Amino acid sequence: MIMGVKTKPVRVSQRFPGVEWIDGTGNFIKIEAQKCNGCGNCMKVCLAECYEMAEGKARIKSLDLCMECGSCWYVCTEEAIIFTWPKGGTGFRTEWG
Amino acid sequence: MERVIMGEYDVIIIGAGFAGPVAAKKCADAGLKTLMIERSKNVGEKVISGLTIPIYGFLFGPAFIRDGNPPIERPVDGIINYILKDIDKVDIEIDNSLRIPKPFSPIYAFGYNAYCKPFCEWEARKAIEAGAELRTSTVVTDVIMEAGYVKGILTETGEKIRSRIVINAEGSQGLVAIKSGIRKRYPPETISLADVYDYEMPKDLLDEIFGFSLRFCWGWDEQRCAPPLGHGNGLMVWPYRESIHYMHDQCLRIDTANVPNLKKRLKEYHNNITSKLPWWKDDVEPHARLRAHMWESFEIFVGLNEELRSMPNHTHGMILVGDVAGLESTELCDGVPQAWISADIAADVAIESLKANDTSSSFLSRYDKKIKAHPILQWSISGTNRFNLRYAQREHDLKKLRRYVHNGWGLGALTHLSTPLVNTICRHIIRDPFVIMKWRKMFYRYYYNWHHARFDYSESPASSEKEYTGRKEDERFRICFRSWQVFMMILIPLIWLLAILSLPLSKTLNPAMKLLLPVIEPLYAGILRLVAPLSERLSRRKVDRVARTDPSLFEV
Repeated sequence: MIMGVKTKPVRVSQRFPGVEWIDGTGNFIKIEAQKCNGCGNCMKVCLAECYEMAEGKARIKSLDLCMECGSCWYVCTEEAIIFTWPKGGTGFRTEWG
Repeated sequence: MERVIMGEYDVIIIGAGFAGPVAAKKCADAGLKTLMIERSKNVGEKVISGLTIPIYGFLFGPAFIRDGNPPIERPVDGIINYILKDIDKVDIEIDNSLRIPKPFSPIYAFGYNAYCKPFCEWEARKAIEAGAELRTSTVVTDVIMEAGYVKGILTETGEKIRSRIVINAEGSQGLVAIKSGIRKRYPPETISLADVYDYEMPKDLLDEIFGFSLRFCWGWDEQRCAPPLGHGNGLMVWPYRESIHYMHDQCLRIDTANVPNLKKRLKEYHNNITSKLPWWKDDVEPHARLRAHMWESFEIFVGLNEELRSMPNHTHGMILVGDVAGLESTELCDGVPQAWISADIAADVAIESLKANDTSSSFLSRYDKKIKAHPILQWSISGTNRFNLRYAQREHDLKKLRRYVHNGWGLGALTHLSTPLVNTICRHIIRDPFVIMKWRKMFYRYYYNWHHARFDYSESPASSEKEYTGRKEDERFRICFRSWQVFMMILIPLIWLLAILSLPLSKTLNPAMKLLLPVIEPLYAGILRLVAPLSERLSRRKVDRVARTDPSLFEV
């Protein structure tokens, strides 16, 4: 029961070995563009390079390699980042944590 | 879409990490209808840490862990601190004063390394065996509020699951606790981003190179090697059974300064460490194979923030435990003992409150009172050595750096750990004097289990049991071990009395250590050096005997 059975597609990345991502997360991190002041803090702390800047505002490029640490959400002084969890049973997983 | 699950639970526990299953097991053991809800598909697969679980977690935490056979990766008997004065000139100082001396070590350890996933899984299985239910792949998004009381949880699919009380063990981000208005988002200066690497390495080399010692590195920021502070912390390397775990971390910002480019920094640090640090280059690099690279943010200085520290950890119908209650250690960055101890206390309070049919905030405030009165919990969230390292660095003050390292992860720790440790030991003995025999058996059993990779639920348990042949010297060890147990049993009234007498005196231990340690320390180090050959031999013999004995000897 605990081990479960993998049913959803699992992605891996050569950049980050030993970690897998189960698809179907949904957009679990969102940016409220009107609140963003373009400081770029989220870009500086995101080790998965999920963010990019466009027209002076942060934008989510891809959540594919996100490990759900929430650092972007912690450093957003404007509280423009809405951080929630990926859908149950999806997102990042590892055996080596 | 709203579905209401019929059939109310007594207790719902949010999260099946280190804390959740402890609370779940205790509630289920008490006959309560208990449900654990976990967002990942398999328990523990989203938990990341560089993990030595310090011994106070095992000594003062839940009894089923102390008396059980959880999966551990290696006992730990000491820390080697490398103070990197100049990495390019290989000018490095060592402080390895914090160490359990042989022949006590490695049987007596001051912590155990572990991977999170198997350990959390082990705990969850124990909770399930006790009768708790587990639902995975389910995200809790909110709580059900009725007349100001938490009456269950709401999942992402709109499902409502009702319960009489909720124990919230959701972890440091605390999204549900924030939504419920109990806590607030932690400020970035209290959070550290831990970059973790896992390397495979042959066991015999690990035994030879690392033994049972952790390695920590501390240096000046401009070397971009082991950041004591740059924006955070340090480099830590943990030897596991057949792998090493590497973690360096950085605070998201210092005080109210700008957020640094952590992506760039952490990469730079990792490159420098692996290319410049002599023992990494010579001993590790040629034999290690990178297996995993991951990261996690964790609360590091929440306990030093007065506002956060004094926020309540309960509301009508809900109790917060572990990281969501801000209980991560400020010094060692350990959160597991705090998670265990707080979950254990929370379960007690939840059981009492359901018996009294009173889940009001005023009843549940017993939990906060107990947390605040727990010497080890309070000690662990108030240490300032790691925090203060940044000032030593800012001033480039080597004397200060040495002092903070020594007081944090050297023998100097006795100047702040002695009182809470002895105080908690005494309280446990006063409550149940037989606990000392359980503690003793735990150390032996854990070592035996580690030696033979023999844990509950492991696929090939106890290959070693066949090895027990009852040779003469093994028989002698059995008799000796049992005789000690009997001897301790006879002394129990005396030990109990001693604990009662020592309890008030424990207050004086920290100041006494501050005064005496400068004198005692060189003396102690000298004696250890003198007896090293003998203690080494004794330790080897003891380990050999323990490994060959019949494990039922250590069962509680």
